Amino acid sequence: MEGETVWGTTAIVGVGETDYIRGADDHVCDLILSASMDAIDDAGLAPSDIDGIIPPPGFMTTEEIAANLGIDDISYHVSVLMGGASPTAALQTAAMAVSCGLAENVLVTLGWNGYSALRPKADARPSKRSMNLGPMGETVRNLYAPYGLMSAAQHYSLYLRHYVDTFGIPEEAAATIALTCREHAHNNARALMRDRPLTRADYDASPYIAEPLRKFDCCLETDCAAAVIVTSVERARDLRQHPVVYLGGAEGHPQPADEIASRSDLLELGIHRAAPRAFGRAGVTAHDMDVLEIYDCFTYVVLLQLEALGFAEPGGAADFVAGGTIGMDGDFPLNTHGGLLSQGHCWGLNHVVEATRQLRHDAGPAQVPDAELALVTGYGDLGDGSIAILGRDR
Amino acid sequence: MIGSYVPRPEWLMLDWHHACLEADMVTIQRCASCATWRHPPRRFCAACRSRESAFVPVSGAGTVRSYAVSHRSMDPGWHEATPYATLVVALDEQVSLLAATTSTPNDLALGMPVQCSIERRSDDFVLVWAEPSDETPDIRPAASGR
Repeated sequence: MEGETVWGTTAIVGVGETDYIRGADDHVCDLILSASMDAIDDAGLAPSDIDGIIPPPGFMTTEEIAANLGIDDISYHVSVLMGGASPTAALQTAAMAVSCGLAENVLVTLGWNGYSALRPKADARPSKRSMNLGPMGETVRNLYAPYGLMSAAQHYSLYLRHYVDTFGIPEEAAATIALTCREHAHNNARALMRDRPLTRADYDASPYIAEPLRKFDCCLETDCAAAVIVTSVERARDLRQHPVVYLGGAEGHPQPADEIASRSDLLELGIHRAAPRAFGRAGVTAHDMDVLEIYDCFTYVVLLQLEALGFAEPGGAADFVAGGTIGMDGDFPLNTHGGLLSQGHCWGLNHVVEATRQLRHDAGPAQVPDAELALVTGYGDLGDGSIAILGRDR
Repeated sequence: MIGSYVPRPEWLMLDWHHACLEADMVTIQRCASCATWRHPPRRFCAACRSRESAFVPVSGAGTVRSYAVSHRSMDPGWHEATPYATLVVALDEQVSLLAATTSTPNDLALGMPVQCSIERRSDDFVLVWAEPSDETPDIRPAASGR
């Protein structure tokens, strides 16, 4: 099969993440370096073992990360610019680099001051470091911002409204996503909302931000960082942790990828194109999955992704999520860490970290019994999508 | 004027704004070779690969494909107008574009016929507005496939 050297030959061997905080005292660079060093330690490696880096989209460069961690020989690095789809897409790139022999141990990291950048403390020195908006920058500046559409909630509501009105999606379905993620966050000591309950009445009382999105349909802006280490399955078996194999993955982009309003189908996202590729490469189906870590920037975006992945027909995700299917005791526990909605927003690299813990059987109170297969999605910019299918090594 | 941010477009977008200002109406880029309409402006025609095109004035008639309803905006000018709708309009030429509207969100529905016009905001920038038109409501579903 084409690409057979890439799929199933690499593994995640180290994970690290900071706390998820609103108003971190640490500089964003320290968040990134701290998560990175934790991931290297977790793998039982030394910084000098790292020879590949995929840095965050913005904030910090490969060169700075290497110099600060004490990495002395970088043989491969690349930036992935797909907004929130970046880290999950980066796993594909890391697997390619390792399986081609471009690097042995690749560090994928992402961190940001997603809360503090917009709300600096009174005594804070302003930082010139910022995210690289990539392809979104030009479009938002020229086409959306002049119409008063500055935030992601507003941009995505351009097609989420179409989704809700076309299929009659009940608010109940979005509330189910929000409440499920919140419930799962209560199993996770690292989650920002670990001890903050959310009721349906709270959800119903929350104000609209951009219809159909209410406040509790929107994820949490947080200061945080995460990191993972990818190496070959062979090397992974000699390292400290139980290897979590990268069985397959894919990225996809809507058409056109740089603008929403002009799409012939407003509801065909990148993940619709990525899904058949990812399942084909991994040789599994959606219904084989034990755990789902779905990019949850907004509740309705989760519903659309579940449909794209094949868990339901278009418009059918509302029925799919009803009745506890995505709860801890359901067939497809979703966002077992609380997700972006209730753990915190680390651009989905926190989803990769959680999937890895689940497949190591090291997820504590959030553990899905005997989890063997996990699916992670990323979603970013104006609908780019990425997928990673991970499996517990034999 | 609702909203306070006026960008300084460049390249193809600037050409489109200038064409609208000159025509004093909405223009849309059209391939000079195969006559396919396209928006936002692109260098090459995706249908025939020609790079020859012109910005052609259009009637501005279309229907609502979707709309965002914002209850807050980081632009102070727009924030004062909340809640406001922003429309995705399918023009009769089968291209879609974003448009502001003075219509209250509750009066809008998918498939509703609208008429687009332009507002000059600078020598380099026009804002497109769309308001419900008097035509008999179009009963075709505006929703595409999915």
